[in-house]
Amino acid sequence: LTVPTAEVEGLLRSLAPQVLGAVVRRYGHFDLAEDATQEALLAASVRWPQDDLPDNPKAWLIAVASRRLTDLLRSEQARRRREEATIEWSLTERGTAQVDGRSLGDTDDTLVLLFMCCHPSLSAASQIALTLRAVGGLSAAEIARGLLGSEQTVTRRITRAKQSIRASGVPFALPAPEALAGRLQAVLRVLYLIFNEGYAATAGTMLVRAELADEAIRLVRALHAGLPDDSEVSGLLALMLLVHARHRARTAPDGSLVPMAEQDRSLWDRGLIDEGTALITDALPRGPTGPYQLQAAIAAVHDEAANAEVTDWPQIAALYGVLLRLGDNPVVGLNHAVAVSMVAGPRAGLELVQHLESDPRINADRRFHAVRAHLLEMDGDDAAALDAYRSAARAATNVQQQRYLNQQINRLQSRSGTRR
Amino acid sequence: VKYMILTVASQQQYQQMVGQPSSDPAWTQEDWAALGAFMQAFNQELLDSGELVETRGLSAPVHARRVQFKEGAPVVTDGPYAEAEEVLAGYWVVDCQSFDRATEIASRLAGCPGPEHVRVRAYADVRPIDEHQPDFEG
Repeated sequence: LTVPTAEVEGLLRSLAPQVLGAVVRRYGHFDLAEDATQEALLAASVRWPQDDLPDNPKAWLIAVASRRLTDLLRSEQARRRREEATIEWSLTERGTAQVDGRSLGDTDDTLVLLFMCCHPSLSAASQIALTLRAVGGLSAAEIARGLLGSEQTVTRRITRAKQSIRASGVPFALPAPEALAGRLQAVLRVLYLIFNEGYAATAGTMLVRAELADEAIRLVRALHAGLPDDSEVSGLLALMLLVHARHRARTAPDGSLVPMAEQDRSLWDRGLIDEGTALITDALPRGPTGPYQLQAAIAAVHDEAANAEVTDWPQIAALYGVLLRLGDNPVVGLNHAVAVSMVAGPRAGLELVQHLESDPRINADRRFHAVRAHLLEMDGDDAAALDAYRSAARAATNVQQQRYLNQQINRLQSRSGTRR
Repeated sequence: VKYMILTVASQQQYQQMVGQPSSDPAWTQEDWAALGAFMQAFNQELLDSGELVETRGLSAPVHARRVQFKEGAPVVTDGPYAEAEEVLAGYWVVDCQSFDRATEIASRLAGCPGPEHVRVRAYADVRPIDEHQPDFEG
């Protein structure tokens, strides 16, 4: 009796963070525990397809990883003894992880690992790489491919992150209750960044990185399973599903970007929209209302509209207004202006954009000029719109976006007959 | 052994690529799409063979800044290049068997689609990366 390789791979992938979590919880030594877990997974991937699955695959993996960790600790110990005779290691002393007086279940192990990888002593780039490696189970090569960096850089970043976790003596436990909310924010941000990384169109190369978006969704699902009552976790999952639902309509067959107003909405994924909408509908009344829930709510309003014209713009404008009150973000300000112009006309939108003109965070940005151009055109001022589109094209560094803006310039020029 | 493959373009060529004609006509959407499809396949093949270390495309030269050090004091100039000056536009770092293999990879860029006036003048340079080699390893 043999087990299909694909089935084994899927099983190993879901068990990996649980095994690593369990081993770190028992013995500490995050960096070595990771190596040990990798070796156990490797052994399983070779043996299970031939020998059939063990009765309890997770226990098998934990046992093999623990044995391997003991070996690693011994050789590490021997190496250290050679190097500095004074240092002593003990498996029990600093090694035993704190469990905070409560027993952590399987899902909790994955969560604790996630919280650990997003520790505030690490840079955002390290948090992302370590999360993908330890919780997502991606190889350094896969991470490098997703982030379009070199494998060596990723490996070095992960190694350094593991060292600083070890040096800081972070216990393997959920943060104390008073620190939990703050750390959850960091976790949500890392997952949001991973999702966006998968979504960003890369200048020139156009490598599709949908895998990272899928991975981010998988990780937020795990977080949501562990913290089903947290409204912002639900909000982030809803946001990702509602945005990802449109991904097939986002690029034309020739690779160019399609703005939402022009997308073929029959390509939107109904299943993802329904799931995201149900999540956000359930989370919003529970509160407290945070930025991810508001963004998810906005995405849900867009997703439920049959086309741009019948979109419930008053509701979107109101939601952006609330989002602006939560935090002064100029990009949110621009989106708010666009939504307001759909409700009260381009003049009202332009008035809001005017307030951002003195904001150095956005006033030289392509998006600022592009929104102004769009609203000026709506208002019938083609000459001013043309100038604004030119400013936007000058500020854009991405070829795809430059091409889009130049198309707008050409369109306006041929309409008015004015040439530079 | 690692090699860098470099391609060049001028500000004028960048402008044509993003749809603005200058001395030569602008790229059409078909030209651009064909380039994208070619690059995607080219990069994917290097990823699959395990030879790609990194690849990047650079934004137009007009966005560049030059920092000069005049008697120890940095002086910054925006957009230091002339319109027709060809400067680095993109690069690949490949890790492969030999200089000949790196050259073979770069040669495949000859098949890169684009307007005829661009294709006839295009070239790529291949340069070995200077890396520390252990003294007693071949």
